[in-house]
Amino acid sequence: MKKYLISLLATAILLASCSESLDDINRNPNATEYPNPAYLLTGVEKNGADLYWGNSANYGGLLLFVQHWAAIQYTDIDRYRISNTDGIVTTPWNTGYTTLVTNLNAILSLDGAIANANYKGVALTLRSWVFLLLADLYGDIPYSEAGKSVVPVFDTQQSVYAGLQADLNEALALLNLDAGTVAGDVVYNGDIAKWRKFATSLKFRIALRTADREPEKAGEIIASLAPADLIGSNDETFRFVYTSSPYNNPQHDHFVSRNDYRISKTIVDKLKALNDPRLPVYADLPKDESVTDYAGGANGLPNDAAANQGFDRISRPGAYFISPAAPAVIYSYAEVLFNLAEAVERGYIGGNAENYYRQAVKASFDQFGITGDEAIDAYLAQPSVQYDATNWKKSIGEQKWIAFFGQGADAYAEWRRLDFPQLTAGPAGALNGEIPVRIFYPGTEQSLNGKNRETAVKRQGEDNLTTKLWFDVY
Amino acid sequence: MTKLRVCVLLAIIFAVFPTSAQNGENVTGKVLDEKTGEPLAGASISIANERAGTITDADGGFSLKVTKFPATVLVDYLGYEHREIKLSRFTEPLVVLLPENLNLLNEVVVTALGVTREKKSLGYATQNIKGENINGNTSSNIVNALAGKAAGVRITNAQGDIGASRIVIRGETSIAGNNQPLFIVDGVPVDNSQLLPASGRDQSRDFRNAVADLNAEDIESLNVLKGPNAAALYGSRAAHGVILITTKKGSAQKGLGINVNAGWTFATVATLPEFQNEFGQGMGGEFSYVDGKGSGIDDGSDESWGPRLDGRLIPQFHSDGVAVPWVAHPNNVRDFFETGVTQDYGISIANAGDKYNFRLGTNFQDQTSTLPNTEIRKTNFTFNGDFQMSERIKAGANVNYIVTDAPNIPSGGSPTGSNYRASSIMLQFLWFGRQVDTKELWNGYKVNRNWNASYYDNPYWECYFNTTEQNRNRVIGDVHFSVNLLQGLDFRFRSGTDYYNDRRKYKIKTGSSGAGSPDGSYAEDAYTVSEDNTEALFNFKRDLSGDLSLDALAGYNVRNNSYANNWQKATKLAAPDLYTLSNSKDPLESDNVFKRLRVYSGFASAQIGFKSWVFLNLTGRNDWSSTLPSDNRSYFYPSATASAVLTDALPIKSHALSFLKIRGGWSEVGSDADPYQLITVYNIQQAFSGNPIQTSASTKNNPNIRPERTQSAELGLEAGFLNNRLSLDLALYNTNSIDQILNVQTSAASGYTYQLINAGKINNKGVEIQLNTTPVKTGDFKWDVGLNYAANRSKVVALDDEGMLTRYVIGSAGLQVVAAVGERYGALYGTAYRRNDNGEILTGDNGFPLINSTNQILGYFTPDWTGALTNTFTYKGFSLSVLIDASFGASLYSSSARTGMATGVYANTVFGRTAEFGGLTWTDGDGNVRDDGVIFQGVNVNTGQPNEAKMSAQDYYSYSNHPYERYVYDASFVKLRDISLSYTFGAKALQKFGLGGLTIAAVAHNLAILHRDKDLNMDPEVALNTGNVQGVEALTRPTTRSFGLNVRLKF
Repeated sequence: MKKYLISLLATAILLASCSESLDDINRNPNATEYPNPAYLLTGVEKNGADLYWGNSANYGGLLLFVQHWAAIQYTDIDRYRISNTDGIVTTPWNTGYTTLVTNLNAILSLDGAIANANYKGVALTLRSWVFLLLADLYGDIPYSEAGKSVVPVFDTQQSVYAGLQADLNEALALLNLDAGTVAGDVVYNGDIAKWRKFATSLKFRIALRTADREPEKAGEIIASLAPADLIGSNDETFRFVYTSSPYNNPQHDHFVSRNDYRISKTIVDKLKALNDPRLPVYADLPKDESVTDYAGGANGLPNDAAANQGFDRISRPGAYFISPAAPAVIYSYAEVLFNLAEAVERGYIGGNAENYYRQAVKASFDQFGITGDEAIDAYLAQPSVQYDATNWKKSIGEQKWIAFFGQGADAYAEWRRLDFPQLTAGPAGALNGEIPVRIFYPGTEQSLNGKNRETAVKRQGEDNLTTKLWFDVY
Repeated sequence: MTKLRVCVLLAIIFAVFPTSAQNGENVTGKVLDEKTGEPLAGASISIANERAGTITDADGGFSLKVTKFPATVLVDYLGYEHREIKLSRFTEPLVVLLPENLNLLNEVVVTALGVTREKKSLGYATQNIKGENINGNTSSNIVNALAGKAAGVRITNAQGDIGASRIVIRGETSIAGNNQPLFIVDGVPVDNSQLLPASGRDQSRDFRNAVADLNAEDIESLNVLKGPNAAALYGSRAAHGVILITTKKGSAQKGLGINVNAGWTFATVATLPEFQNEFGQGMGGEFSYVDGKGSGIDDGSDESWGPRLDGRLIPQFHSDGVAVPWVAHPNNVRDFFETGVTQDYGISIANAGDKYNFRLGTNFQDQTSTLPNTEIRKTNFTFNGDFQMSERIKAGANVNYIVTDAPNIPSGGSPTGSNYRASSIMLQFLWFGRQVDTKELWNGYKVNRNWNASYYDNPYWECYFNTTEQNRNRVIGDVHFSVNLLQGLDFRFRSGTDYYNDRRKYKIKTGSSGAGSPDGSYAEDAYTVSEDNTEALFNFKRDLSGDLSLDALAGYNVRNNSYANNWQKATKLAAPDLYTLSNSKDPLESDNVFKRLRVYSGFASAQIGFKSWVFLNLTGRNDWSSTLPSDNRSYFYPSATASAVLTDALPIKSHALSFLKIRGGWSEVGSDADPYQLITVYNIQQAFSGNPIQTSASTKNNPNIRPERTQSAELGLEAGFLNNRLSLDLALYNTNSIDQILNVQTSAASGYTYQLINAGKINNKGVEIQLNTTPVKTGDFKWDVGLNYAANRSKVVALDDEGMLTRYVIGSAGLQVVAAVGERYGALYGTAYRRNDNGEILTGDNGFPLINSTNQILGYFTPDWTGALTNTFTYKGFSLSVLIDASFGASLYSSSARTGMATGVYANTVFGRTAEFGGLTWTDGDGNVRDDGVIFQGVNVNTGQPNEAKMSAQDYYSYSNHPYERYVYDASFVKLRDISLSYTFGAKALQKFGLGGLTIAAVAHNLAILHRDKDLNMDPEVALNTGNVQGVEALTRPTTRSFGLNVRLKF
């Protein structure tokens, strides 16, 4: 008996002292502690494309604001009845910071032996794109302390844009053809030259955002960019191409199970008025065969009026956009050309603005598979399309709006900046005839980062949909 | 001895037998109920200061060897008074007449680690519930059987009748973690998880909490240890209290005994929202069905803003294009639900001899819910036995094997409020065409013909084809032995396990339009959960000298927990109706999670008694947990409690004040973290075109976490008046939970949406009152009243050390449930109306209400107080018991109301739709003159005058124009919870048929809601699941009312 007891006690004491094995027990078998830059990069590109092209931020909101799409059912967002917990408000914020910025920061903080300079350059470029997206939507945002503090301060939109120019300069310094290969890049397949072009083109985009506020600074930056360093063809477009299955284009997945969006009447009518050959690409014929022409849905209707347009009498977006493997275009060649036209008009660079404009429309046609010089020339010859140097904001604004079909975030930023096309809020809009010019901060920020949010709101103006952002002068 | 004992009729008759000095003498006797004279089987007989002991047989008889005279024979029986009989020598068989202990003041109760103690010696509140109050309850979930039975115990039956229930004792003491008590069955901790699927998967199925696996018929008694003071010895998991379950044993039997029970219960839908029957499906008064996807006029609309239900002729979903009368079917939702039937059959055999006892039993239960084609079958097998191996060594084993086999688990709401269109039945009744004829749904279900084909499948199709199976195989059991080492010193060893596999199969039939994939899908979700405990302890019991007694123990425990989950899904089926994982068009979605942890614990306790009226209890425990960093791994926590029986100590005892005890104490328990919370990790997802995807976890972990600590102080008083005809148990407590490990939601801009911090502090204070009285007791008639009341106030004191965090988000369903610093736990936090200083709602010039851009606290899910009243009437063999319980001060956010109003299906959406229903004439933005104008009652923010601008009725009811405030209701209720009527046949009548006992009982459950918020269109007592996100309702299944019949037969 005594022997037994002694051995039992000994076992007990032995067990208690086994703290080594307790560490082993607590080693997580489900995930790795070690980030891999290639895997992180694929994740950011995929999740970034989903955010830019997907439901909450794009067709569930921004495409409705810019009247590319319209809601035929559940019209709340289309009527700007938006709460600070809706997906359009929370998704860009949460996905932008956690899914995108955090993983890019992880690449940036990796040892050089694991992630070479080119990984860092790519990461910094992508991170600049994400911050730009957020600043364009919300205005002042956490930037300098993002990912570094539990309660990061909000930087002014102005300082964010300036910071991004500096970040992109750093990215360009890092991106070097002989600085090592980049794996996991499903957009440019590790082509560093293309990444340099995308980074330079982003500088261009950001500089124009600030052009109404800081014309000289913007001019300086744009003048420093060599045209050869910009995206120079549709092959160099920054776009994410989905696969057929299971990683489908999110718009395709939506139409598999839902029936609540149609193409907007605003853009259909515009394309019709311009005899635009992109109409059959952008829209499908209505399901009801008795309707023989393309028809758009009106934006901003009450639920009953929206539904009463007839679900099958209104066109859905074209197969090009809702096919499983449709690309998510993020920065097109056409945009570079439109930007060049604008830069000429603003006197930042030399050259012929009209030429750039015509090339831009051509590039857009090409992007959507419309070829043949005759079609393009006939289109451009129309008075309604012809470049009007005296009202270049209208010419560039309208054509950019058409060319950006589906790119909600950038179509929205350019519409606010150029003020063309002139859009009218739907009859049941909740903002007294106005269209939102920003989105709310997520409601959770009130509880999670309340003081800093309050400071930003005091500086920027009330946290509502009609408060103009810093870059949006006119 | 005390007067109390003197006044008891006790007959002790002595007889002289020849004795053998060497072997001692056999003391024999019988224990009988003082009043009825019926034998008491299973009473414990022991000799003071000797290890010998036995238990009475079926006839109440016992035989016990006594080595030394004079000796004191101790007689204990649960629910009866304690007896001590001094024998100078044994002369003739003893006849011990035990009086029932009306007030249970002297009862013997099971305390932590299975140690039985006299209740008067305890320095904390504990409450015993006898098995007979649980056996034969109509609920298939033993947690439900506790509703209203103990002060401070809050039960929330999640949804309807068949699924999960939540139990919380003395309020929520953990801000983020589990708040449900630890369940222990015969010394073996058993798991009570609900195992909800990970987010992003179908979380709408109402899986039962795991403790519902237990068979109520096996339970002898159930002891509620309310909080750390009572349960400190259990360590980490005791902060939320412990439910100690003791199962029936063969020792209650002498010779062979057979028990048979059978029960049948019928449940019907109790509370449904009130629906309108004036307008059918459609928009703007128009509707015509072609394909339910928008080809007809508004037939893609899933709301009821369509034509007046006036019998006009309109093509409908079942009429193949033919215009048929457009009429109301007022009961179309109710008609869909069925009567749920529970059948329960069990048999047990028990036997006991001098050296052994055992009990063998099996029970089969089959329950169908009120939703068509849903069913859960449960089979329990149980064995327990103890064997006296030698004079000093006793050994035994318990085994429970439980098979749960459910062809289809009903679906309800989901914790995030996400919709699962392929299965959520209430979703389609809240977005509904009010004209729909349920018969036609039934007629068309095999071809999925439905009133709307864009977003919903035919509800019968959903129930019959889109099913979720569950199969759980579980073993709970232990082996144990005890050795008597020296007089008063025992060694006990126990090794036990709770192990189960739980496999679920989710089927979505090809052709389901609501599922998101018309291809259909198939998923398997498999869990393996286990907990092993091995425990060794020494127990030393002795009367030290004169008036002092000591009962001490010291022990050691090793606990291992493990959890494995394997999820695989074929997202698109290749061949229809073939549910295999390989039948997939796309690569399988898959995920694995493995978790394990180990805790070593050393513990000791001592009870020192003085003259058996003052007791001091001390405990201490040290844990070493694998989940904490090595520097913080070891943590110690003590407790000290004391009690004094003043009526024994002071000369104050009288007829009026027959018993008075005060008690009090302080305790601390420590608690570890979940596994793998130290290092931040990266997850790998399915590759994109051959490129693996890695993303950072959304939670930033913390390598420096420390153990959580819960400190609790408690004071109590137990009193008996008028010869114990009236008794009172009062408890006051104050619990501080500090260093809480919180996965706090942080601004995404911090880089993570969650970060693990270690600083939360929450305080709970409360009072519990339990009052029992027997107002009438004459001859055969007795009326007992039990009243309990509990009020708990929680306060979130801090979330982080720096004071930067002000709100912890417990969960979100649009509206957030938060723990806000300075506030009561469980605040409902969301948008509210903007109001002026008079509290009137402000509107804009357009007549729409203005919404405050800052979220407000709109209520709390934690009630101000809860209470219950039980009246029991017994007359001869009859017993009638009526339980009414109440809860006041909690709030409920009804997402169903938010939807049901916006879609125009609720009855309260008729007003204003047309002139006929009070609609005002107005002109809309397009210049149309309409007759559906409604004025929102408020004050124009610009003019300060009452609002006069009109809006359409549909806008008036739409949630987009209103804050969450509109849908937060008072969740107070008074319910007629249970009525049971039973008849027990007299022994004489039964003997003719060779029966030992026969009881027939009729039970009704959830009979009526006597009080509730009239605006709330449902049962206020609903929940989505058993987690901490309470006070939120979304698509929950209707609650049920049930009637049952039980027959219990004893041979």
